[in-house]
Amino acid sequence: MDRYVQYLADHVLTEDKVVTYRLLSRELRVHVNTAKQMLHDFHRSQNAKRPGTVHATYLVYGTKKASSDTVSASQNGDGDGDVDMTGSAPETDLAEVVPISTLTLVPEERLQDALETYEEVSSLHVYSIAPHPTKDMALLVDAASQVQPLEFGEDRKKIAPILNSKARRRERQGAGLKAATAAATLAKPQAKAASKPAQATPFAKVKEDPATSQVKQEPTEKPASSVPAQKAAPVPKRGASGGIMQAFSKAAAKPAKPKKEETSTPAAPSAEPNVPALSDEGEDDDDDEMPQPKPRSAPRHKTRQQINQELREMMEREDEKEEESKSDSPDEEPIEEPLEEEAPGPVPEPAKEEEEEKEVVTSSSNGRRRGRRRVMRKKQIMDDQGYLVTIQEAAWESFSEDEAPPPPKAKAPAPAATSSQAAKPAAKKGGPKGQGSIMSFFSKK
Amino acid sequence: MVTLDDVADKSLLQKPSPEAPESLERSESKYQPLATFALPKERNYHQQFADVYFIRLAKIKPIVEEIAHAAWEGTVVGGETATKVDRVLDVRQGQLCWVVGTVYMEMPLKPSVLEDISHDRWIAAPTTADKYYSPDGGDKIMLEDDSGRLTLVGSILKDYFLVTGCIIAVMGTENAHGEFEVLDLKFADLPPQPDRWRLSQAPKAKEEDVEMSDVSSGSRSKKIAIVSGLEFSGTDTSHAMELNLLLEFLLGEALGPAAQSELSQISRLIIAGNSIAKPSDTDAAGDKKPHSKKYGYDASSYNPLPAQLFDGFLAEILPTMPVTLLPGALDPANVSYPQQPIHPAMFPRARAYVSPPSTSSPSEPGWFDNVTNPWEGELEGWRVLGTGGQNLDDICRYIDNDDRLGMMEAMCRWRCSAPTAPDTLWSYPFQDDEPFTMKECPHLYFVGCQPEFGTKVIEGPQGQMVRLILVPSFAATKEVVLVDTETLDVSRVKITTS
Repeated sequence: MDRYVQYLADHVLTEDKVVTYRLLSRELRVHVNTAKQMLHDFHRSQNAKRPGTVHATYLVYGTKKASSDTVSASQNGDGDGDVDMTGSAPETDLAEVVPISTLTLVPEERLQDALETYEEVSSLHVYSIAPHPTKDMALLVDAASQVQPLEFGEDRKKIAPILNSKARRRERQGAGLKAATAAATLAKPQAKAASKPAQATPFAKVKEDPATSQVKQEPTEKPASSVPAQKAAPVPKRGASGGIMQAFSKAAAKPAKPKKEETSTPAAPSAEPNVPALSDEGEDDDDDEMPQPKPRSAPRHKTRQQINQELREMMEREDEKEEESKSDSPDEEPIEEPLEEEAPGPVPEPAKEEEEEKEVVTSSSNGRRRGRRRVMRKKQIMDDQGYLVTIQEAAWESFSEDEAPPPPKAKAPAPAATSSQAAKPAAKKGGPKGQGSIMSFFSKK
Repeated sequence: MVTLDDVADKSLLQKPSPEAPESLERSESKYQPLATFALPKERNYHQQFADVYFIRLAKIKPIVEEIAHAAWEGTVVGGETATKVDRVLDVRQGQLCWVVGTVYMEMPLKPSVLEDISHDRWIAAPTTADKYYSPDGGDKIMLEDDSGRLTLVGSILKDYFLVTGCIIAVMGTENAHGEFEVLDLKFADLPPQPDRWRLSQAPKAKEEDVEMSDVSSGSRSKKIAIVSGLEFSGTDTSHAMELNLLLEFLLGEALGPAAQSELSQISRLIIAGNSIAKPSDTDAAGDKKPHSKKYGYDASSYNPLPAQLFDGFLAEILPTMPVTLLPGALDPANVSYPQQPIHPAMFPRARAYVSPPSTSSPSEPGWFDNVTNPWEGELEGWRVLGTGGQNLDDICRYIDNDDRLGMMEAMCRWRCSAPTAPDTLWSYPFQDDEPFTMKECPHLYFVGCQPEFGTKVIEGPQGQMVRLILVPSFAATKEVVLVDTETLDVSRVKITTS
């Protein structure tokens, strides 16, 4: 029974951490209500020994006194009083008084004040205890979000106060979900680590294996490790295409592990084998988007920009290479559509420009092309002597028509490529491997 | 006034008791969603928007005519008897008559598609104006039908809410300026209300008169929690603690045993829009990239964190409580009304509770039901209509005061849940049916993402009773609305940290 005293002494007094009742109940596998009592008991006994060693926050629930509650329960603004839809509506007179309960989280120093504003308190318990007085509730957020969600089964029965036996859940086959959940749970511990500036390191060390912490962003080590690796990689585009490709590759890599990540409770260790599989790119993003109370340090930012710069250069180089390789590969030749008369690759520029003047296709989707083209129009005007003169002049005309049918000889990758080619010749790169990157599908047409 | 001593005997400020407390079972939710606002998978945007008005007028006109007929038939004003005129254009000067049509508000500040076209703007920007209403009186109210338009004047118009798209009957005469001076006006009023338990099965072991027995038996009546504007954010953590407390509250993990048994009566959570916060400016402005638009879309500019947080929130709640999720203006769904459900792929963890796609059998609704906005359904036998708030916000722009409850009431009495669509509220160009027309009167009508809470009950001419609720935005007010499923009484819970 003294297990909790041991645990709380370790975590609160020694390791200087905030412990909420939810965290305690999950760590010790006890009912949340028991955990609340444990916190209270520990708080009282410690402070009896030495006052001021442990500080608590309390959660108060009940109805507040009417005076302190602003009169928002009444109808909001009958305004000018000229509003009466029915013409005879007595019900607008009696403003409905809606009972309002208030849930307040309050540090122990202000508990007494808070209680005084209440008319009736139906519940009061310790929310968390910490070695320091809680000044900023935002710190509690980190403690509160450390709590792992409960899984179905015994644990839930033991810990959760309210169950629902009717909950229906789909059991999914297929690796897609697994990978996705793994990625999601993976992202979480990192989020915590990043958003806790001061306490991050000790906690992470305890919770995570060396393997994980190594991957955690060390600003100094990052540029050294990630950049050269990416440079050396022959296909950086796959890395850049981000989560979706990884999800698949990861799932394929380890198919025979049904929901292991989901069931094991401290998610950090179990998710750890996945961590190295995350590319620098993905990890970078995660870290970048965390809500951080403080701005990131400047040098760190700089390295990231450098990385971006390098990546971009690499992309461009890749592009050129592809363009080159394409020009001498015969099967990439665009099929002769009416609008596609421009020469495949190496043909000189002028011809292309001339063609483009004839026709500007602004969009081509769903088998329809829209745009403007230049046509010769006959125009009759009356000249100053009163004669009708017919002249021909070039004019722009907008059009929308069905796309020309793909020629019979088109190779499999060709149609996808042509539609974007029509839009902007610069994006011409069908992908020498026969199958383009998935990102080209999302490109702006 | 409560002191610490008063509550010291509460069980949770004691030494831990050796025996584990009993777990409670959450009440079951009787739930039957309707697909009123679902769009076909194959959507066609070639058709004209005018059809929406035609259909609406065709549906509501007979009802308004009937009411107007009953009210004005044989009315004599100044020695002249009012006669009915079928079309707006047939109104003759000096003749006392009444006519039915659609209201059109001509407002200088209102965005106008004609103006956009004349300025060669082909992509309409979202409106920025807070109000279309201009206090200097530049606004004109018109009545139109398929024949033409008629400018309405008269002091009585000030007594009513009028917005583009609502259908009214007016009685009066056309004056020398060609304006129609309105002496009286009527609208459709509440539609017929279905009985309780029309669609779903009433719980057994109840006598014929369900309501009476329920009231007598029920100290433990069930509740529905409605919340909106959770606004999970990747950058703004100002209300993160409140969101945590909300989660613990709904899970029933917070609070003491007595309150927990109360919480176990909450049988369903409805999230009425704006679950994900607007991306902050700092997100985008942080790095203005030189355009190496390799793929057109820069994946690194997307912040997945809000969606992840929201998914985590849902995944924790779902094991103990079914959830109905309406999209809102800020959510990743289509912009135009009716908004279609948020795709389950947004919720890698919570989607295990979504009903499986494309099952041919009419399966039961998903435990996690992501639905349309507006949404209609039957909850505990009551017909419920809910929206994410855009319809009301848009009406509010037309009107110079903020009586949002009054506008909600007006919507019910116009029988139109989104009258300003498709004029200023972007909407799908319906061709065959116009779902915004209320065919049946809801028992409960809630509108999410509102600046503050409000509720009232309105009554119809045939004894219809509608409970109206303005659901406040949680991010702004930290409030949850609880609705009793037997009496439709409303209570609120406010979450604060100090």
